[in-house]
Amino acid sequence: MTLQSKVGVFAGAALLRLVLSTAFPSLPDLLTGRVEISTPVTSFKRLQEGLFLYSHNVWPYDGGVFHQAPLLLPLFSLLPDVEAWPIFTSLLYILVDLLSAYALLVIADSGEAGQSKHFASPRRAKRSSGLLVAAAFLFNPYTIATCIGRSTSVFTNCAILFAIAKALSGSPFNAMVAISFASYLSMYPLLLLPPLVLLAYDRQSEKRRVDSAIQFSIRAILIAAVCISLLLAMSFALTGNSWDFLARTYGIQLTLSDLTPTVGLWWYFFIEIFDSFRAFFLAVFWLHLVIYVGGLSIRLRTQPLAVLTILLGIFAVFKPYPSIADTSLFLAMLALFRHLYPIMRYTYVASATMLYATFLGPAFYHLWIYAGSGNANFFYAITLVWSLGQSLFVSDLTFAVLRDEWEVERPEMVGKEIRQI
Amino acid sequence: MRSLLSFLPLIIPSVLVSATEYHEQLNLRPLPLSALLASFNFRANTSIADFEAQNFRLFPRSLGQILQYAGTRELHLRFTLGRWDAESWGTRPWDGTKEGGTGVELWAWLDAETDQEADEKWLTLTNALSGLFCASLNFIDGTRTIRPVVSFQPEGDHPNTTLDNTRLLHGVLPHEVVCTENLTPFLKMLPCKGKAGIASLLDGHKLFDASFQSMAIDVRPICPSEGECVLQLEQTVDMVLDVDRSKRPHDNPIPRPPPGRDLICDTSKPYHKPDDSCFPVDHLRGQEWTLSQIFGRTMKGTCPLTDSETPPVCVHIPSTRDIFSSEGAHEIKYPNNDSLRCYHIEQEKEFTLILTKPEVPADGEAASLGIVKPETPVLYAERSFTGHGQEHGGVQAILTNPGDDTVEFVYMESLPWFMRVYLHTLSARISGSSPNTNTTTEIVKQIYYRPALDRARGTQLELLVSIPPHCTVFLTYDFEKSILRYTEYPPDANRGFDVAAAVITTLEPKAMNIRTTSLLLYLPTPDFSMPYNVIIFTSTTIALAFGGLYNILVRRMVGANEAPSGALKDKVLGFVAKLKKKKTAVAAVAAGGSVTPATGKTGAK
Repeated sequence: MTLQSKVGVFAGAALLRLVLSTAFPSLPDLLTGRVEISTPVTSFKRLQEGLFLYSHNVWPYDGGVFHQAPLLLPLFSLLPDVEAWPIFTSLLYILVDLLSAYALLVIADSGEAGQSKHFASPRRAKRSSGLLVAAAFLFNPYTIATCIGRSTSVFTNCAILFAIAKALSGSPFNAMVAISFASYLSMYPLLLLPPLVLLAYDRQSEKRRVDSAIQFSIRAILIAAVCISLLLAMSFALTGNSWDFLARTYGIQLTLSDLTPTVGLWWYFFIEIFDSFRAFFLAVFWLHLVIYVGGLSIRLRTQPLAVLTILLGIFAVFKPYPSIADTSLFLAMLALFRHLYPIMRYTYVASATMLYATFLGPAFYHLWIYAGSGNANFFYAITLVWSLGQSLFVSDLTFAVLRDEWEVERPEMVGKEIRQI
Repeated sequence: MRSLLSFLPLIIPSVLVSATEYHEQLNLRPLPLSALLASFNFRANTSIADFEAQNFRLFPRSLGQILQYAGTRELHLRFTLGRWDAESWGTRPWDGTKEGGTGVELWAWLDAETDQEADEKWLTLTNALSGLFCASLNFIDGTRTIRPVVSFQPEGDHPNTTLDNTRLLHGVLPHEVVCTENLTPFLKMLPCKGKAGIASLLDGHKLFDASFQSMAIDVRPICPSEGECVLQLEQTVDMVLDVDRSKRPHDNPIPRPPPGRDLICDTSKPYHKPDDSCFPVDHLRGQEWTLSQIFGRTMKGTCPLTDSETPPVCVHIPSTRDIFSSEGAHEIKYPNNDSLRCYHIEQEKEFTLILTKPEVPADGEAASLGIVKPETPVLYAERSFTGHGQEHGGVQAILTNPGDDTVEFVYMESLPWFMRVYLHTLSARISGSSPNTNTTTEIVKQIYYRPALDRARGTQLELLVSIPPHCTVFLTYDFEKSILRYTEYPPDANRGFDVAAAVITTLEPKAMNIRTTSLLLYLPTPDFSMPYNVIIFTSTTIALAFGGLYNILVRRMVGANEAPSGALKDKVLGFVAKLKKKKTAVAAVAAGGSVTPATGKTGAK
């Protein structure tokens, strides 16, 4: 892997995005309008509306359209007007994508996927090269569509990847700062904190080593808490000394008051649920999302990176407003576990299901919304298939990770049929 | 060529002289193409002192007590149906100030120190008026109420000190269907209750059959320069009747085409052939009607309480046309306005008017119709939805200034919360210029915007716009159609949701109001029939994912050959084997008694 090939992959990816968005000037707006890419909490069009209100002295959080983090507003108001100069916005998004790919490269090159502090996979020799992982992320159609559709979840994804990369390279402080940014932008990355702290603890640098795990995690959580408080305080000052933005940004994810269709499971369920059960099921859905964190972190204590990957997969299916941006992040992380591919059982079924949903989803959405020849159940059914396919991927990866672990103690069972009791 | 308002100054000074007074007047105004505008006006005054002492005479007690209880300083209520066709009918009656958007519209200035207090009083007011007028005014909740900033100004005379402590609230119900049950309480508020005077002409069948009708109630305090302040209640009914349709039940209740020999043909058409092809010129003949034909009943004298100086009936028609009135009526002509004729009527005597056919069709369009040519309005406005599909949409308002002066106006929209407006897409473009030139800032001078909050309040948009002479401006913005909880859809969800009319208040060259038509917004709908199925399917998906992962995480891995035979398959196989064994045993027993001793013997051995 030479420097030349690295530059080639990165430049190629940047060029591809640039060409797509300049050669087809209506493509960014088309993709921005797609429900698969833009959710109420990541849509670029809503960000533009928020920016417009912000620059005309109307508080965007006094309205029902803008649900994104306040600090995005000054960031984007620095850019030239997107109507007149769309190229600058495109460049920003391309840069963020390249940064994410760079973080992935660092993660892959650390070899953590195959060999962590407490565990060395017997298959670790067959690890994927960093460049391949970065290229798989950069040339994934989901990633490209997200980048051109200018969904703000790319910032969250970048922050998550950087948090992992920094934790691996032995700088827990930077990792905590990065995960705080991700949590501030989208809230759900906060749930990644336990495995990330474990990962950072395992990969501490020798110079500033803290031996006590409890001491280390308290310190890390304090850093994250201070960092998030600082960001929230800045937002508080920015939005005219009011806490309204909390209800508009995080509150909407907790209560799902905006029922715009997404690729997830929440929207149709909460359209159809009886009003008296709404609060109960909201609590159940959130609880369901939270319980995986503890269980996985304990069961897969030796492989925190695998926990992070599985959690990201679960979030891409079960979070309130998922989009294909979350799937692209999960798939990028999945590429790190190339050595486990031979022992995954349902790769073909899961990927075929996902492809099926990818092609039929837009068609069924069109039938419902534009042609009027189908109803909401068409798109709902395809989101069910999409979620099932993805959850199959997640559980299959979990199985492969566990089997890999099991084969360390039972080397004679390699390649044999096994059973779970 | 004088507008309807031009004769009003004749009346208003006399109204303001005495504190307690009542007058009523009906203005009839033939419009092009067999349309007839009938404009009823009832005006009652009571002194503020009497009102506060609850000494009601001409002012209806039912309304007065509501106003006092809800602390209302000024009230405007409108019930409207149909569309004013400005292209052919010209300027609106009363310059549009007594017109509402389709459905019900209510705005009032309430005594309130805080917004919260105003909301409480508004709730009281809407609920009380809802009962009084048999209309669903109680559905004007927070999502349908806005607080206009520049569009509405108080019409009455308020001291500045009271005005500082009042709040203006405005609510619309575009879905409300105005009907007879709203007319009955309206008539009951009149001193003569619709039994005498011009109100005796108001019949629900005719009023709600009209092409356009608007009922208005305005309550405002008026302080003349000398004398005491009075509270004025003005009730107005404007209706545009189709004369042909109104006359129809009389001689031909079922519409049928007239026989060919009765048709009057336009002989100038090239394709005209006698007894074969004909271009009918019925509507070019000019109107002929009698008062009893078009209203279905005759007028029963005058109301005894009315001010005797105000003539109760006036007709706006060129002096060349002949009108006959019933006996006892006294015709007045005005030297400064030869197209206006008014009639004084004796009490307790039935009154009717007969407008005869114009004798000779003269040349020229308006002259041949025998009517006063309608005045061109200051501004034409229409509004429609653009785009297709149930996801994104746009609103386009086309505003035309036909005159020679620059028109400046406030464009106000009160939109429901489920229409997510993207204000950054707002653009104004003068016709002729290409869509890409951005002239928004030149046309739209000021924007007042209050964004919607989900399930809490609607969007309020007020634009200060100015249009150069002889120009058409296209005002457009995008919005997103949100999908609602299934209980939030009305029973007829696929009909769509009504969006209230835009209110246009012109400031220059003269103050008037225009309302566009209301719109029908079609939202995406879920499948209403399957909440249980959706709950079950989604829960199953989650259970599959969770169960699968849970199994993988908690179960122990063993080799396939090492597993104990506790598996279901083994159990079933064992059960089958057991069953087979039993069967053979039973068969052996059944084979006969001879076998048993044999076994016995073997046992003995």
